[in-house]
Amino acid sequence: MGNLVLNGATSGATTITPTDAVTVTTTFPSLGGTVMVSGNMPAFSAYGSGTQTISNGVYTKVAFNTKLFDTNTNYDATTNYRFTPTVAGYYQVNGTCYFGTVTTGLGIILIYKNGSYYSLNGTSLTATNQAYLTVSGLVYCNGSTDYIEIYVYQNSGTTVSIGSQNNSQQFSGVLVRSA
Amino acid sequence: MYDKIMALYPSLTQQDFLTVITLQNDSDGKGDYIAKWEHPTLAKPTEDELK
Repeated sequence: MGNLVLNGATSGATTITPTDAVTVTTTFPSLGGTVMVSGNMPAFSAYGSGTQTISNGVYTKVAFNTKLFDTNTNYDATTNYRFTPTVAGYYQVNGTCYFGTVTTGLGIILIYKNGSYYSLNGTSLTATNQAYLTVSGLVYCNGSTDYIEIYVYQNSGTTVSIGSQNNSQQFSGVLVRSA
Repeated sequence: MYDKIMALYPSLTQQDFLTVITLQNDSDGKGDYIAKWEHPTLAKPTEDELK
């Protein structure tokens, strides 16, 4: 494959206008910027294999310890269970957790950014409302130190075990826009 | 830890644990700990009190 070389200014943006297009243009960022293509946009998905105990009244990090995929090796599934993307930008983050055995109290699932909660979703837990808790958010990450985790909370009055099904216990994220 | 704190301070409510008190477990093998204690009148329990 050959190289396409565009001579011109060393700052600002480079715009390509297809000759047969009326309004469609393709714009590259200024010198030093990064063109985002599918190959360098981090995406991952993981789930927790094995059960995990969630104590009553305690915000507990979910140990999603099995990767389904991790295109940029940015998810730690062995120690911290956190996503630390190495590309700066805005990430769609999703978490799901199933509290099938809990029949009372409140269940909450939270996105944590850098150790503090960023967004949450919760519901009352009843015998007829077995809770699939889900949370999502658009989170900016700086591409170096920012990291994301998923925590859950329940106050049923007793300890609860959450399951190990990859279709009900998932943590995923993908870059949707670069910085 | 929740039960130990409730035994120390029976007047606490579940709402307190959603607002002014945060108990946390980072799944790092170190167990539960008090991440935030901002109760307006009750003092944060000591480690000895939580043993």
